[in-house]
Amino acid sequence: MPPCFALVDCNNFYVSCERLFRPDLHGKAVAVLSNNDGCIIARSEEVKALGIQMATPVHQVMPLIKQHRVTLFSSNYSLYGDLSNRVMSTLAGFTPHLEIYSIDESFLTLQTLPTQSIEEQTQTIRRTVQRHTGIPVSIGLGPTKTLAKLANKIAKQEKTTGIFNLSCPIDRACYLKLTAVKDIWGIGSKTAKKLQVLNIITAWDLAQQDPEWIRSLFTVTAARTVRELNGFTCLTLDEVPGTKQQIICSRSFKGGLRDHRLLAQALSHFCLRAGEKLRIQNSLTSRITLFINTHPFAKNTPADNRSASLKLPQTTQDSRVIIAQAKKLLTQLVQPGYRYHQCGIILSHFDHPTTPRQADLFTDNAHHPHARKLMTTIDTINQRFPNCLTFAASGLQTAWQAPPQWLSPHYTTQWQELAHVKCI
Amino acid sequence: MQNNHGGPRSGAGRKKGSSVYGESTRAIRVPESLIPTVRQLLDHRKQHPSLKKTITDSFLHPAQNPNALACPLFTGKVAAGFPSPADDHIEKTLDLNELLISKPTATFFVRAEGESMLGAGIHPNDILVVDRSLEAAPGKIVICAVNGELTVKRLIQRHEQLILASENSDYPDILIREDFNLVIWGVVTNVIHAL
Repeated sequence: MPPCFALVDCNNFYVSCERLFRPDLHGKAVAVLSNNDGCIIARSEEVKALGIQMATPVHQVMPLIKQHRVTLFSSNYSLYGDLSNRVMSTLAGFTPHLEIYSIDESFLTLQTLPTQSIEEQTQTIRRTVQRHTGIPVSIGLGPTKTLAKLANKIAKQEKTTGIFNLSCPIDRACYLKLTAVKDIWGIGSKTAKKLQVLNIITAWDLAQQDPEWIRSLFTVTAARTVRELNGFTCLTLDEVPGTKQQIICSRSFKGGLRDHRLLAQALSHFCLRAGEKLRIQNSLTSRITLFINTHPFAKNTPADNRSASLKLPQTTQDSRVIIAQAKKLLTQLVQPGYRYHQCGIILSHFDHPTTPRQADLFTDNAHHPHARKLMTTIDTINQRFPNCLTFAASGLQTAWQAPPQWLSPHYTTQWQELAHVKCI
Repeated sequence: MQNNHGGPRSGAGRKKGSSVYGESTRAIRVPESLIPTVRQLLDHRKQHPSLKKTITDSFLHPAQNPNALACPLFTGKVAAGFPSPADDHIEKTLDLNELLISKPTATFFVRAEGESMLGAGIHPNDILVVDRSLEAAPGKIVICAVNGELTVKRLIQRHEQLILASENSDYPDILIREDFNLVIWGVVTNVIHAL
């Protein structure tokens, strides 16, 4: 019997995390803000009911927020990351066939057991995750990943049991006719518009098309989506995540930065973070790309969006090399008089340390073993004591980063910030 | 006729005590394995000439950075190859995580505030180990939400009536009425009390 795909998705994940130690916020309007407290990136049902859309800049809806006493939180990724690990570990306790898709979503495959149907297993999973971690989840079931994702969307809308199954072809036909093409996983808004021009409006319409014809007009991904909508598995579980081919670290700056020294400090910080991610996956990079942008919606200020790329003479995973090269690129890109809203570094063209490579007559190779030891030491210390060691290039004070206004305590990752319980 | 060709001149040669160490030196033989240690000692002596006699106390030792929770039960390893009679009996080191936490994904730490649970051994500022996966049965100490706040109580049952009891006569019990939406946050399994 073919396995059933299940997509487990946490409900309003960041909001649910913030509510775990705050029973007073259950049933109340809560929203979580992005980096720099700029936009709304998570909303409770009560906030959705107010008509506030995802990614709205918070200053645009501040009157509404104040009027309805919406509780705001700055993003607390330490908390979200820890709770996400707990959710995923709890799921892993049910089956090893698990693909962690994002911070709050996972695909699983389930088989009917002699003692438990798939629906019963799903109910047990849902109850257990909620009980153990405090995070409510919805689960969508289907014969393919695409259908499981769609089932999950329906489960969230139906709100009754938190579970929905699209395995039955009759149910499937009914719901596919009610789903617009833009709401299908794998179909982007541009593809959806082109499909609408061809009079393919609903998911049912798309499922009736010939996959080869769709492939000729669009992409192989769209063709796979058509097959998957019909119950034919094209996408399998990625139980072992592949190494990333590109690492990006960037941030936006509240109010923009005009001071190029602050930009350089911020950039050095991003290089250190990107370097850490590179070393975790044990890759070496040979290309650095830097980009800087002015605010896309700034009025009365000129726009300046630039990027530059540099091929390194030697592949490296040493943050010092990355910082030095990135700063060289920055001096080339930065123009005086502009206020930059965003800056970032992209590392690409990766190699594995064991890949044989051409030595360079002009570059000093002798540093490599010491460099590796130094980087490992810095990473180990920073893992134990977060943000303990940085490079002097990042500056002593992070003047380029405004402190978050509504950050909740690191309840699960710092001893000094444990939640307090009353003995009254 | 005596002449004074050759031979040592008085006052010639290297003065005693003019070495980098500020005192007279003597050549000795050192086992090869100890050469790095001795060199380190001499470098240290060169850099701190004031520490003349107390040098034996200031050998630099690498900082020990053991796992915060492991306490060795005993160690039976000997580098020299002598088989220790303990080799067959080595057990793994004691780990507090193993003792206190049975389900890491469902275990959280919280800090107690207030004195209503002194009778149960929970003092203000103690850390409570809370397991959300355990069933909240009468007799257990639980964390629950009372007036929107996480509160510690002992769950007891008296003639079909569930009660959230305090463990201090100065604090009242809470009777759970039918309309009381009792949500148990977790069960307290251990208290960590710093003396």
